Amino acid sequence: MSLTRQTAWRAPSRHFVAQNSTTLLALVILVFSVVAYLVLYYQSLGHFPDQYDLTTIIDTALPLAWVGLGQTIVVVTRGLDLSVGGVMSVAVALAASRMHDVGTMILWCVIVLLVGAFAGFVNGVLVAYAKLAPILVTLATLSIFEGIALVVLPQPGGQIPVGLTNVLTNPGHPYALIYLFLILGIWSVFRRTSLGTAIFATGNDETAATANGINVARATLAAYVLSGLFAAVAGLFVAAQTTAGDPGAGNPFVLTSIAAVFLGGATIFGGRAHALGTVCGALVLTLIVSVLFYANVNQLYQAMYEGLLLILAVLLGILVGKLARTSR
Amino acid sequence: MSEAPVDSRTGSGSERARREAAVVSPERHPVALGGQGSSRSSVGVEARDIHKSYGPVRAVEAANFAARFGEVHALVGENGAGKSTLIKILCGVARPDSGAILVRGQEASFSGPLQAQRAGIGTVFQELTLMRWMSVAENLLINVPPRGFGGLISRRKLPELGAEVLAQYGLERIDPRALAADLSVADQQLIEIVRALQRRPDILFLDEPTAALSETEVDWLFSLVRDLRDNGVCTVFTSHRWREIETVADWITVFRNGRDVGTARTMDEDEAIQLMTGRTLERIFPKPPAVPESQPALRVKDLVADGVRSVSFEIRPGEILGIGGLAGHGQRQLFLSLFGAHKVSGGTIEVQGRRKRIRKPLDAIRSGMGIALVPEDRKSEGLFMPMSVRDNLSLAQLPALSRFGLIRWGKERASVGKVIRTLAIRSAAPTRDRVSAMSGGNQQKVLIGRWLATDAQILLLYDVTRGVDVATKQEIYQLIVEQAAAGKAVLFFSSETEEMAHLCQRVLVLREGRVNAELTGDDVQADQIVAAAMKDRSQ
Amino acid sequence: MSGAETPVTTVGRGAAVASWIWTPDRRKVVFAWVAVVVLFLIGGFIKSGFASGTGITTILLVASFTGFVATGQMFVILVGGIDLSIPWVLNAAGLLLVTTSLGQDDHALVAVLLTLGLGLVIGALNGIGVGYFGISAVVMTLGMNGVMQGLTLGLTGGMTCDRCTASAPDVVRRAVVGNALGVPGDLFIWLGVTALVTFILSATVFARRTYALGSNERASFLAGINVKRLTVVLYMLSGLFAALAGIALTAFGGQPTLGLGDPYLLQSVAAVVIGGVSILGGRGLFLGVIAGSIILVALVTLLQALNIADSGRDILYGVVILAILLLYGREQNAR
Repeated sequence: MSLTRQTAWRAPSRHFVAQNSTTLLALVILVFSVVAYLVLYYQSLGHFPDQYDLTTIIDTALPLAWVGLGQTIVVVTRGLDLSVGGVMSVAVALAASRMHDVGTMILWCVIVLLVGAFAGFVNGVLVAYAKLAPILVTLATLSIFEGIALVVLPQPGGQIPVGLTNVLTNPGHPYALIYLFLILGIWSVFRRTSLGTAIFATGNDETAATANGINVARATLAAYVLSGLFAAVAGLFVAAQTTAGDPGAGNPFVLTSIAAVFLGGATIFGGRAHALGTVCGALVLTLIVSVLFYANVNQLYQAMYEGLLLILAVLLGILVGKLARTSR
Repeated sequence: MSEAPVDSRTGSGSERARREAAVVSPERHPVALGGQGSSRSSVGVEARDIHKSYGPVRAVEAANFAARFGEVHALVGENGAGKSTLIKILCGVARPDSGAILVRGQEASFSGPLQAQRAGIGTVFQELTLMRWMSVAENLLINVPPRGFGGLISRRKLPELGAEVLAQYGLERIDPRALAADLSVADQQLIEIVRALQRRPDILFLDEPTAALSETEVDWLFSLVRDLRDNGVCTVFTSHRWREIETVADWITVFRNGRDVGTARTMDEDEAIQLMTGRTLERIFPKPPAVPESQPALRVKDLVADGVRSVSFEIRPGEILGIGGLAGHGQRQLFLSLFGAHKVSGGTIEVQGRRKRIRKPLDAIRSGMGIALVPEDRKSEGLFMPMSVRDNLSLAQLPALSRFGLIRWGKERASVGKVIRTLAIRSAAPTRDRVSAMSGGNQQKVLIGRWLATDAQILLLYDVTRGVDVATKQEIYQLIVEQAAAGKAVLFFSSETEEMAHLCQRVLVLREGRVNAELTGDDVQADQIVAAAMKDRSQ
Repeated sequence: MSGAETPVTTVGRGAAVASWIWTPDRRKVVFAWVAVVVLFLIGGFIKSGFASGTGITTILLVASFTGFVATGQMFVILVGGIDLSIPWVLNAAGLLLVTTSLGQDDHALVAVLLTLGLGLVIGALNGIGVGYFGISAVVMTLGMNGVMQGLTLGLTGGMTCDRCTASAPDVVRRAVVGNALGVPGDLFIWLGVTALVTFILSATVFARRTYALGSNERASFLAGINVKRLTVVLYMLSGLFAALAGIALTAFGGQPTLGLGDPYLLQSVAAVVIGGVSILGGRGLFLGVIAGSIILVALVTLLQALNIADSGRDILYGVVILAILLLYGREQNAR
């Protein structure tokens, strides 16, 4: 028996826009930022930025984009990972003190990734199985990981091998763009796996996810492991951009990774986020520095513009989201 | 973390293939596939001597139940009688404290709903288990998504496949790309049902499946259920509507106080009620008083809101006005709008002849006579579970009980005490007793008590007897009539039409957001109300 | 789930009586204070002078700063929010104090009022963003923190402006650091604040509504509580206390430093949670937060006294917080 009462379906494109409105907004903000940058750069220097400039910008944004990727996954589960800063610091500390030549470099890269994953594992177990609040767990582990970074590298120093810099952030070659697309590619794959579905379902509604046979605890654990892993990757990129190591290098990324994710259109209510938005957020936050520079704005005000941008972007996202969904 | 192929989730390779094949080929009638190895009239699922407690509350006690393949078995009982808990145990969501579960004659123990699913059990719960921020297609195919390149989920094929599934069940009108959150509650329920059926269960549990559905949709469901039965599926469902049970059930089991008290092929409604309530008496409804002539307490003209197309009515002090109609036709929105909890886009509200702008609950509470709303879901909308009885009771009238923002404890104690006595709320120490530890009936009394304490003259009571035991229901009926006799205007909605029929002097029946009929005097009968609810005015 | 289960059995009388007095909330407060005492005992045992009069006084003095910030943080955590703008409201407050008073006593009152006013205004903006526009607390306060940071650094030229080198007015410094009866004035201030806040949270309509809002927002709305306005008030209180902490810290150190407020963000959240307040809102007693502040500072001081390197301190700090969270059990869960 059919209940057919033919109602016109909305066009797929309308659905796409409505359901991804905040990500698209982040993209729009990025476009505006790029245009502003190009215009101001030209006004200031009389020519457009060259490949070196652009690659440097992307290079600078990469660590934030990587750590943002992991943070995005955690935000999907309605959590926050504050410990990413600590993981990044540990990664930098290990890179500066333990890497010497190509052999040790590769070895320690692998170790760093494992350490990051393990750090995420610890977070994940406490959140998913001991059922502690994410913000509190990661607050505590942030402190622990920062301490570990200091143990590994008590003072800024050490030596980051040139090889790492060459592979990860060489401005001479457009590797940066490749890594950016790698991030998006990873997300794309992630969304299309059962794990990805499980994590999104968990962020939507845990009870419903369980009723659908999803192992919520395991999905949550996986989310934090991935966050730790990508934070470690981000740490390697930070290390690659400096010659010496700083055991406190990861600190600023705690809050900026969160800013990038929410600028990118994620919602704290779970189940909805897109790495494309986060990458846009990371790029915008990086571009702001240059935009302000070429606009001859006092650099000291930088944080104010970042803060305003974050608030306005989210506000706009809320409005756009409401409009997109109520216009049926 | 490796991305392992998900055989473990959807069962063995062959089982998974069977299910996926069944979903993908639309030419096979969905319910033509029967269960594997199930012979007619053999016992599908059985519960033996099950006990289950939640803390001090014994939800199910020494319960026995058996349902056969090829039959539709109805589980009836009052709210809190244990039906939902039993179903949760039999479908793997909850684990029994003791007792045995048998599936196809063999003992089974489920560590979770997934295991039960693999054993061929499907469930549609009362609470929706859809992912609100995922599309219909994603929801339908969440466990069996179409895969493409490299074993990854093909997001492109999702809506196509979703549309096919919907078409198989005659639900072409639902857009597979729509977000579950954007569907109406009824459509969400339909998707839940389809998703459960899609897994080709041999044993199907439906817990209050028809609560949000319209007549046509209920017929659609029951036709599916009959097809399932004809193909050997064992179906168990619960419902509060006797008509439905009579229509489709082959067997009826009554639950009371956590155990089964009777099973029969057919049953009289009275007989069933007797078994459900354990009383030989019918429910006694107090008679509502005659309504004195006076100026209306509340006059609503052409009210328009989301879900309310245009409603006009008047209610006088001393009147108990029922708002009837099938679920989801605007009653809830009407109540919320009158209280300022729902956006009103047109029309006027007059309290005691004076026009009032009610944009938020505070406006309603302060609108001259005072409007009070006892909302639908006391746990999520009404009570503050971790807080004390006293705090819950006094919250709405704190301004009156305080001076300069400081609470006057003596006055509060007196007010709270008065309400507890009036309503016979069982609470020896209202300052310390938490409402979370109280029974449903008692909790409801606390919620009602909060609003009685404000001395509001217009009471909006929305389904106040839901989930309440019979004894407390009686007390509430008495209370409503007393309040009317004291001159309060009561707007009353109940999901049990019987209550409206007996307690109201007049009933307005809503259909699709408009007043479809007004029943007064002798016409105020349950069957008349239902009939008026279904009559399409456009005819 | 809809449809309540009617209880068939009731809890035993003895257990009922015990649960009257020994509520989970009170249990946590007592536990926190026991931990305070234990910490001082251990500390005094390990390091002489730790638990002496001066030792305790010093720790309490330092704890008061965390305590002020934690008080404000508690108000917003009680309704399930959080205030990430504390660091730079605090820092800005310190700078505003010195730049408007220029160290002169006759400008002190105005300076203090202006500074507290700053806290209220920023808090109000936070509250409006969260309450009226629906921006999540994390985002709104995070953004506001950035705004305050940029604004402060920009307007003061990175804290190098002439006026910035002024000190806090003497009268303020004396109020904070000066001794009365052998005890720093700041502790009297803290005592006064504690008494006032305890009173407010137990006897006012405002407090009832705050706990109700934290417990169930929808039900609060339907009970006639003005959720939006209440949210604004709570964030204003958080800003106010952050500013107060800024004044106290600046008076204590004489001058505001860069990044003065940074450590206090996470400390304030930790203090609130250790004190037994649920991160989800609706539960928790203020006295626990006081204990939490003292525990944190005593712990750090103890670790310093043990000559443990910075790294060890950080690690132990985190481990202790986790241990306490685990001890509080599943009541602290986020779901």
